[in-house]
Amino acid sequence: MLERRLVIVTGKGGVGKSAVAAALAIAARRRGRRVLALSMVGSGDGLATHLGTGPLSPVATELRPGLWALRIDRARALSEYLQSQMRVPAVATFGPVARAFDAFAAAAPAIREIVVIGKVLWEVRHDSWDIVVADGPPTGQIGSYLRAAKTIEELVPAGRIAEQAGWMDETLRDPDHTSLAVVTIPEELPTVETEELLAWLAREQVVGHRQIVANRVLGPLDVPATLPAGPAGDAARLHVALYREQRTWLDRLPADLELPYLFGLLTPAEVAARIADAWEAA
Amino acid sequence: MSTRALLVTGGGGVGKTTLAAAIGVVAARRGIRTLVVTVDPARRLADALGTTLGTEPQPLGDEPNLWAAMLDASASWEAIARRHADPAAAERLVANPFFHAATTQFPASQSYAAAEEAVTFIDARAWELVVVDTPPAAGGIDFFTAPRAITDLVGGRLLRWMTGGNLPGRRFFFDRTARPVLRIAGTVLGTQLLDQIAQFFMDLRTTYDGVRRRAKEIEDHLRGAHTVVVTTADPTPLREAVRFFRELPEVARRPEAVIFNRTLPTSWIDADPSGIPEPLASNLRRWAAEAHRQQELRAEFASRYDTRMAVVPWQPEPPTDLDALERLVKASEGLEPVLWDTVD
Repeated sequence: MLERRLVIVTGKGGVGKSAVAAALAIAARRRGRRVLALSMVGSGDGLATHLGTGPLSPVATELRPGLWALRIDRARALSEYLQSQMRVPAVATFGPVARAFDAFAAAAPAIREIVVIGKVLWEVRHDSWDIVVADGPPTGQIGSYLRAAKTIEELVPAGRIAEQAGWMDETLRDPDHTSLAVVTIPEELPTVETEELLAWLAREQVVGHRQIVANRVLGPLDVPATLPAGPAGDAARLHVALYREQRTWLDRLPADLELPYLFGLLTPAEVAARIADAWEAA
Repeated sequence: MSTRALLVTGGGGVGKTTLAAAIGVVAARRGIRTLVVTVDPARRLADALGTTLGTEPQPLGDEPNLWAAMLDASASWEAIARRHADPAAAERLVANPFFHAATTQFPASQSYAAAEEAVTFIDARAWELVVVDTPPAAGGIDFFTAPRAITDLVGGRLLRWMTGGNLPGRRFFFDRTARPVLRIAGTVLGTQLLDQIAQFFMDLRTTYDGVRRRAKEIEDHLRGAHTVVVTTADPTPLREAVRFFRELPEVARRPEAVIFNRTLPTSWIDADPSGIPEPLASNLRRWAAEAHRQQELRAEFASRYDTRMAVVPWQPEPPTDLDALERLVKASEGLEPVLWDTVD
């Protein structure tokens, strides 16, 4: 996965999507690659804390040698997009026109999404980094981003925005270039949601390569036939029951990579580092 | 019959739907005529409820006081259009490709539809208690702000931007020289889409009065409802829970309590693993560290938000029938007092 130019990380809320994205960026950097980690939606705080840094800037900032980070700011990305891709004069991308266009983008399908995914792909085209790791939108929304270029092509047969959609679509579909990492945990709802996404991806064919990453996977525990009374026995019983439960979901939806359950109080940066260790060991 | 509404909110994957059902079971078994309204329950919870849920409330098992229904948020926009626009405009709206694309992506629409349906059940006055399992959507607080968001969309922030505030005639949209935004939008998007958008907003605008009235009613209902916030001691759901405590008081009642689901026994924290053979001792140490982590996060939450708290023990296997759902509440600490203070 780390050999590609772009890895987009998605997952149901709460499965550790940002932690995995940060870990991927850290693992790539340990291999000596120049990495840009970016947050596609929201404040980017999840990615930032896992990278061990404060709030991310909308401009790429070097956190440590070889590791850069930014968060996509929608208004700014829109303005950049209008100028560089749509050749709209700079003066028109601020003030009331930009606000009106932003209102468009909020209501019109695929426009907000294409601005964001366009920004991601533009960063990939940049020669400043070997790999871009994108902390993407959650499973429920990733489809509209991945499909934005197609949607635009269908909805807007004319207009400059349609011309741009073509190359974006191609880049996402190139399996040597782009990979989608779907993070899940072995529980019912995340499994079902991941299966739905996989079915959708199979239908739409919008990304060339994808990988399933199961997070918080418990290891097996060899327990004696009779367990002692008290906490040790209870903890063993809980572990074994949870392990069995997890395996039924992993049997149903096998993962390309299993990441370990991390016990106890850890900072987000420690979590990301431990996941990166596990990634390298795998 | 006076109806109380209890909204069970929280982030995704915390066991909210299961707890909403469990609360429904204990309330019903206490003799309270109860309806549980749920969104898309997990397969095994649906099995536990022992029935295939439909959008119409139906009695559960042999329980004399328990009903359940599933929220159908899918066909919502079409319903809004047909309810509030004149037939010709509604037809045009539904057929407009822009309508289809815009409405499926407007994040508040699912929450609004769910809220509207939930309020319909509350209004029916057929139950003493309606327990609503709110959709996770893009942050559960949406459920409360959706009516306003819908009114704003229909009222046309975009429309106002395009026209400068006056309700426009159709001609206005085609006079692109009048407003630079339309010139730019035409270049970027193409004129065909722009025409569809214009038609969409003009038709949508005719639904404004109806939508605004209904949205207001829904907002008033949500404002009066009681809320409990479900979370686990994990960062993402906790952030979501924090949002409810910070933001909900601005739009509705403050949450009655926070419910920590999947809680490990605090007795594990200081359990002594000496004399215990491996691998059980190491396993206990790991889970004790988890129990400690959970305790720390609960204590931090309680001190910051000064709220009532309930803890529900971690059950490795999901409940398989109504009795198991009831046991979940009975095994909890502090949940029943919160419930009876709220609904009795």
